[in-house]
Amino acid sequence: MENILKAAGLKKYYGKGDTMVKALDGVDLEIERGKFTAIIGTSGSGKSTLLNMLGGLDTPTEGSVKIGGTELATLNNEQATIFRRKQIGFIFQNYNLVPVLTVWENIVFPISLDGQKPDKKFIMKVAGMLGLEEKLDSLPNNLSGGQQQRVAIARALASKPSIILADEPTGNLDSKTSDDVIGLLKMTSQEFHQTIVMITHNPEIAQMADRIIRIEDGRIAT
Amino acid sequence: MGEMLKTLTRRSFAAGRVRNLIAVLAITLTAVLFTSITTIGIGTEESMTLTMQMQKGSKSDGDFRNMTAKQFEMLKEADFIELAGLRMPVNFLSNTNRHNIEFDVLDDVQAELTFCSPTHGKAPVAYNEIVASEQALRELGALPEVGAEVTIEFTAHNREYRLPMVVSGWYESTSDQLSMMWAGIAFRDAHPDIFQFTYDQDRDMAGTYCSDIIAVTASGLSKKMEQEAIHMGGNPHDMEAENYIAATVNFVTNMPLEPEIAVMAALLALLFVFCCYLLIYNVFDIAVMQEIRRYGLYRTIGMSKRQVRKLINRQAVWLSGIGIPIGLFIGFFIGRAALPVIMASLSEEYANVAADVSPSPVIFLGAALLTAITVFLSTRKPVRVAANISPIEAFRYVENSSGKRRERKSSLGADISRLALSNLGRNKRRTVFIIISLTLCVVLLNCVGTAAGSLDIEKQVAFKIRTDFAVTSAASMNGMKGFVHREDALDEQVIGTVSAQPGVKDGSPIYKNTVEDTDVTYEWEHLVLDEGIVDKDSGLNIRFDENYMYFGTGDDRRPICNVYGMEESVVARMDLREGETDAHALYEKMAQGKGVMVGVDVNRVDMSINADLDMADVGEIITVYKDGKPERELPVLAKAAVNGDDQEIGITCNGPLEVGGNGLYLYLPTNIYKELYEEPVIYKYAFNVEESQRENVTAFLEDYVNNVNPEVNYLSSQTAREDAEKTRKTINFVGGLVGMIFGFAGVLNLINTMVTTILIRRHEFATMQSIGMTRKQLTRMMIFESVYYALGASFLGVVSAALLGVTIIRNMLGSMWQYTFHFTLAPAVCVSVILLIVSAVVPVAALWLFHKGSIVEQLRVAE
Ligand SMILES: Nc1ncnc2c1ncn2[C@@H]1O[C@H](COP(=O)(O)OP(=O)(O)O)[C@@H](O)[C@H]1O
Ligand SMILES: [Mg+2]
Repeated sequence: MENILKAAGLKKYYGKGDTMVKALDGVDLEIERGKFTAIIGTSGSGKSTLLNMLGGLDTPTEGSVKIGGTELATLNNEQATIFRRKQIGFIFQNYNLVPVLTVWENIVFPISLDGQKPDKKFIMKVAGMLGLEEKLDSLPNNLSGGQQQRVAIARALASKPSIILADEPTGNLDSKTSDDVIGLLKMTSQEFHQTIVMITHNPEIAQMADRIIRIEDGRIAT
Repeated sequence: MGEMLKTLTRRSFAAGRVRNLIAVLAITLTAVLFTSITTIGIGTEESMTLTMQMQKGSKSDGDFRNMTAKQFEMLKEADFIELAGLRMPVNFLSNTNRHNIEFDVLDDVQAELTFCSPTHGKAPVAYNEIVASEQALRELGALPEVGAEVTIEFTAHNREYRLPMVVSGWYESTSDQLSMMWAGIAFRDAHPDIFQFTYDQDRDMAGTYCSDIIAVTASGLSKKMEQEAIHMGGNPHDMEAENYIAATVNFVTNMPLEPEIAVMAALLALLFVFCCYLLIYNVFDIAVMQEIRRYGLYRTIGMSKRQVRKLINRQAVWLSGIGIPIGLFIGFFIGRAALPVIMASLSEEYANVAADVSPSPVIFLGAALLTAITVFLSTRKPVRVAANISPIEAFRYVENSSGKRRERKSSLGADISRLALSNLGRNKRRTVFIIISLTLCVVLLNCVGTAAGSLDIEKQVAFKIRTDFAVTSAASMNGMKGFVHREDALDEQVIGTVSAQPGVKDGSPIYKNTVEDTDVTYEWEHLVLDEGIVDKDSGLNIRFDENYMYFGTGDDRRPICNVYGMEESVVARMDLREGETDAHALYEKMAQGKGVMVGVDVNRVDMSINADLDMADVGEIITVYKDGKPERELPVLAKAAVNGDDQEIGITCNGPLEVGGNGLYLYLPTNIYKELYEEPVIYKYAFNVEESQRENVTAFLEDYVNNVNPEVNYLSSQTAREDAEKTRKTINFVGGLVGMIFGFAGVLNLINTMVTTILIRRHEFATMQSIGMTRKQLTRMMIFESVYYALGASFLGVVSAALLGVTIIRNMLGSMWQYTFHFTLAPAVCVSVILLIVSAVVPVAALWLFHKGSIVEQLRVAE
């Protein structure tokens, strides 16, 4: 199988001198296309930092990230953003929806930013799978946490990215709801042949993954 | 807990640097506004009072006269008096010609109060030392130098004195006609014969004690002074009484406030308070909103509402503590810099204006108080919101008032400009406030622009003078005097000198009757007059008709009217409205004695003939009487609308009002005028000048009236125009200043909102960026948001400016004759364009300054 994501010698240091934090300290990682990878580790071990590097939200102190053959370091800020919105869908712990946009508008937002027409049929299908058909005209404030996270998932899927990066997407949800959400995420990604990298604290969820990576003190523990 | 609150305030204060900076700026701006406005207001008032005091010759609160030495000692003890000067009048000097010199003994307090303290040299000490004005010294043939010797001559108690004196100091007088020369107490002691008190017997002022006083408080002063006069054994009421003591309040110093001015000032103050309210409200509203989670937290852990309120109030006090003093300081200097510009435009009415303002505590206390009140008012609502927030709500709090609507029609895409528009709706009140404050700036500046543009300078010039130049006696040009007596006449010699100047053309002398010409009188139909009263100054018998029009009357008790003798060229320049309107034909007929032209005062606003004063119709016969006998009959051939130049000169028409009163204005050819009047005198010489020579003639006249012949004065269309331009300058300056301050407040509001938006929505922005919004798109969205405010304000501003323009402004300007209303929206459009540009720049700068670092960092910061 082809490796869609490749990180080599990734290092991320914050601060200087005595107060320097080595959030990532030499990570090598390869992720296969279409696989579901779970990242686990204690709090502060560098999981989020890794995910952000992989998604190009932040630049590493050292090392390289390659997505589908593109070396992220060669892209400037603007290019990285455009690359990201085409290739990567992000899901965050606290949903991060735009409060003044309706559910529908939130879902199609990244596509509109790209100046594209949303694929209405596809998005309706995603919304249907996530149980959001009834809520498309609602504003995020009027939705429950689970519903909001489902909107965030729909948003991540809407532009048909090849990779979905999720940082504790169920951290704010009860266990029943988190199971539902993860189930849906897994189902849709299989349907659309997407690669998922997900950080989680939940062992049950980690068990559903094809592969589990444990991070300890900024390094991959084996 | 009190200690804790203080610590908390201090820490929160330190935490919100940008926010505090903006809050301090807002409060400073408010203080600047109030201080500069009060400085200008009080400064104008002070300067005008000082100017009038200088004209009156005293800045005291009042004065006592004709006291004995004993009475003066009693006066000094009176408890309502703070300062009492001493003046012992001697007499006017007799060895003077043109400049009158009063010679008195003064003490330093009195000299200071009556503007004759030496500005060079010292006050007199030795018995033969004097202080006098520069003009007085020159009049006596001496130079203004310390140590110069002069001889003074005067009469006291019927004895003539001739004394050699030495100048110990001198000062610049404000009056060309009269000034004070004074000696010290030593002079009195050296000449006891001059200072015998004989006022009760022969009314000789020499030997009396006079005193200008400064009172502890101005309230009830006139009563107190009267009682004091009685208490010291004088009689303040009966001028004929032996023990008469004059005790009068100086009304120039203690002028009552006019109600219209008070109302205007109050309205303006209210507008300013409102504008600043909008600004400060937003600053605190935003600050509270940013901290709302923290207040929620405090509430969860047991802080009471009162304590939350106290916390924010304390921050407001601290911020005011920084902002107000800075604002007071800056505002005072702005105000003081503005003052001379404003005073210059008032100088037409008040000659020799003094423009200065002292940093009085009233200004600072007033401005500080107004600012504090504004801060207090504008923080009420934000404080309440913070105190009343329930902890749970605080944590869920996302600024989104449209959340009340559960649903909204989704658009197909989410385009950036629409997104920006929805963002405005997040806080309607704030949006409205920002738009209003920007709108105010647009509207205000448009009103100012309309007023300045509507100022009809040519109309004013045309009203004041019809020729390029006119020369009159100084009295005619003086708004307080006017051409009244034969002695105010213009010397033929002056006309000769002036008309000999190169370039002078169309020159014509204009004759006019005076209060001395009581032998020639007039009678016409429908004239019914009452018994009348005698005017003390002119000695004329003034009689009234049934409409309370008054007429100066002559020896035979018929009106003497205002009668002019002029040449054809002057008639040709006048505004003939009825009857024979061809000037040449009219003049021919009049010159043959076939009739007369009457002039009627106009309503300056629309230049229509004033119906109340229109007393004789064309065709009516006017009978001329000489020495009580009918001399001839003159039918009214034409009627003219007369302006300031036709009546006297400029806008002064004091002379005609003193002479003929409301009686007819009659215009006759020179030959007829000379037939009627025994001693015809000229009051004005009007002439044009070749364009190329105007500057030279102006320079000549300027020198002539200042240095050669101060009895003469001149007016030119050029100076009339400059005077009118001064008004425009003031309007532009003051209006521009106020408009700018409003604009600045509006822009500060906008900056504050933009900066806060960026700080507060950091997380949202980071999210949008993480899901693919480029920085360019983010910037575009913020520009849209900001420009929407400006667009809203521009639209509202232009519309309200247009509405205000055609209603209130038109009415207001329409009622003032100096203006001819011209509708314009150019200033509003200009300001709008500037606002739009600024509004586009602000978010770019704000993003650049406050939205730094990687997306990840911003996501972290927000959490
Ligand atoms: N922007 C930053 N500045 C400074 N330190 C950071 C920053 N981001 C992360 N860190 C530090 O890096 C370490 C790893 O953080 P993170 O990747 O967020 O951990 P995790 O997601 O595994 O809980 C932590 O010690 C954290 O404090
Ligand atoms: Mg994390």
